[in-house]
Amino acid sequence: MKVKKIILVILILGIVGAIIGYKTYNKPHLNIVATKADFNVSANKIIEDFSTDETTANSKYLEKIIAIKGIISDIKIEKEKGIITLKTNDDFASILCHLSEEATNKMSDLKVGESITIKGICTGYLMDVILVKSEF
Amino acid sequence: MKLIITIVTCFLFVAITYSQGKYLTKSGAISFYSKATMEDISADNNQVLSIIDTDNSKMAISILMKSFLFEKALMQEHFNENYVESDKYPKATFKGEILNFDTVNDMVSKKQVKGFLTIHGVSKEITIDANMTKKENSILVTGDFMISLEDFNVKIPAVVAKNIAKKIKVTFNLNHQFYKK
Repeated sequence: MKVKKIILVILILGIVGAIIGYKTYNKPHLNIVATKADFNVSANKIIEDFSTDETTANSKYLEKIIAIKGIISDIKIEKEKGIITLKTNDDFASILCHLSEEATNKMSDLKVGESITIKGICTGYLMDVILVKSEF
Repeated sequence: MKLIITIVTCFLFVAITYSQGKYLTKSGAISFYSKATMEDISADNNQVLSIIDTDNSKMAISILMKSFLFEKALMQEHFNENYVESDKYPKATFKGEILNFDTVNDMVSKKQVKGFLTIHGVSKEITIDANMTKKENSILVTGDFMISLEDFNVKIPAVVAKNIAKKIKVTFNLNHQFYKK
């Protein structure tokens, strides 16, 4: 009787463990649309933060959801994914927003010169600040 | 006659110098692929910054580690937190020189790029084979190479040794456009 109970407990633990393991392994990516932005900034502000002190800006913004407000300077599609460029006061630095598939589909309404707020995950600063999986 | 030659030479000179200078892409693609017993893992980065200076055949590539997107969120988390420590080392870079760059033309040709690859804070000299095509306003560079995780001090715990390959295949597709200031 006791042995049976022990086996049962082990079995249950095993199943629970397997479910947790499976769930963790298949943990979904962050849903950008449904999640509130960690920071709301202007294109100029975030470029300024990165160009003055990249290390501090990295620890503040990286892997966070950032909503950036700016003016569209370029719209293009590469490999079926939309890329929107927001201009800043700095001629050589801009915000490059790589769009999600859904956002790419509704991109045709946008025009260069329009003001927009784009929400995405910030991955860092090369010549430009880069957002991935962006939505608008 | 002399005048004509002079004019023709001038035009030729203009034509040649026109496309000299910097070629750049901000949306180059680099992906990697790990084939192991338990699972295959791949990740793509489409925000690669790459610059070719045709005046001195130099090539410089800069990429953000956090821009590598994985199929599974957990893999991406492990990659960033445990393996490449992207908080500490947010970028990987390559700085090098294209050998025999002057022979690159509008036909695809195999060239070698020699330089230093820096990942995870470790720099290593490598020579990469690449296919290059130079058009009027663009230079396309594609190819792949293998890197060993050990070389860049990326440690894989024994528990997941069967899930991650020791040698990773890196594929690149960089379409540089002529950069006018």
